[in-house]
Amino acid sequence: MAAGVLTRVRQALRGPRLAAALFSCHGQTLSSAAAAVHSPAAATIETDATDKILNFPLTQPDYFHLSELFSMKDLFDARVHLGHKKGCRHALMEPYLFGCRLDMDIIDLEQTVDHLQRALNFTAHVAFRGGVVLFVSRRRQFAHLVETTARDCGEYAHTRYWKGGLLTNAPIQYNPGVRLPDLIVFLSTLNNVFREHVGIRDAAKMNIPTVGIVDSNCNPSLISYPVPGNDDTPAAMELYCRLFKMTIKRAKDKRRQMELLKGI
Amino acid sequence: MASLCKVMINVSSRSSLPPKQCVFATLRSLYSSDASGGDDKHTERPKSGFAAAYNLHSDLQQSGERRMMSPREESSFPALLRQSVLLQMGPAKGKIAIGKIFHIVNDDLYVDFGGKFHCVCKRPAVDGEKYQRGSKVRLRLEDLELTSRFLGATTDTTLLEAEATLLGLLEGKPKE
Repeated sequence: MAAGVLTRVRQALRGPRLAAALFSCHGQTLSSAAAAVHSPAAATIETDATDKILNFPLTQPDYFHLSELFSMKDLFDARVHLGHKKGCRHALMEPYLFGCRLDMDIIDLEQTVDHLQRALNFTAHVAFRGGVVLFVSRRRQFAHLVETTARDCGEYAHTRYWKGGLLTNAPIQYNPGVRLPDLIVFLSTLNNVFREHVGIRDAAKMNIPTVGIVDSNCNPSLISYPVPGNDDTPAAMELYCRLFKMTIKRAKDKRRQMELLKGI
Repeated sequence: MASLCKVMINVSSRSSLPPKQCVFATLRSLYSSDASGGDDKHTERPKSGFAAAYNLHSDLQQSGERRMMSPREESSFPALLRQSVLLQMGPAKGKIAIGKIFHIVNDDLYVDFGGKFHCVCKRPAVDGEKYQRGSKVRLRLEDLELTSRFLGATTDTTLLEAEATLLGLLEGKPKE
């Protein structure tokens, strides 16, 4: 209940900033709307610069240089490759597993590096374009960590009980003009009774892309950017939180820098 | 000498490299004793037969080892995994490990020993106050993850905990 109110308050606070972002996305700031009447040339220069800011990063494979943020050795030292026991394995996770040693599943870190790179790149582009990111995790051991991560990078987190129509019934449960998140990052895709988090299905219904850390007992389907990895060890969770925080901060700083350059 | 060579070759064919080395050393000593001419005559003569084959084989082996231990290979995931302590340890049952207490709830000590999960141990009666957050303890591991398949279930139920017996505090001065 309190979490729902908190989300609503945050979304209301987000509104004005979002309005500015929306306008800039459409290539016309409030000031240039008036100026366009007088000087069409200035308006076209504005739109060209905005197009360059928005379109150019999409042509680069690693615009934010996120591959330097982590290496396979970092993942290995944070115990990302350790999976659950063989009996807990989800059938759909078998392609992501390196093998099974003494009944313990080992996740293939070479695939994880690739998937994590893609997920971080997508998160960075979403944050660059002024998107709202929501961190979700129902692991009580890491709830505080996830919430502080979200607060530190200026995004949102939901680590409490997920009410039924949070995404699917938002206009009625909150106010009609509410803005839904543009990306949902699941730092653990299971809820407290080891079933898939309802948010995965709801995000797919509302066309919201998802990034999810999937352990060897999770279902990776319906997640847009699954990252096979350990979600039970504090070292691994701290690594993921640190990586997501750094990517979002990097992307937002880059955007601010480019806006300043455009202003000059 | 022929019978001696035959015996040595039989021994070397059954076992690994070192006997070959001593065979070669024996043959070289025999040849050097036979060639009573100068040492320079022995070194100038090009090696043939077994000597040449042995040199070629040892060169190939050394270059192969050098190729296998290149830096790129050493940091690949299979290499990292093979050299990791968790795999070198083998089955966890009965192994002694050193853990660090990272959380305490009254008499329950949550100890992390480097596996996927932590283990929870009861505070022992002897030296109870010495077990604080950050202290290193010795554990005997039983299981790395407590799971069990119950009747009618499709997957195992996991407790998200490892099991270990607390042996005591880590004795001796810590290495700085």
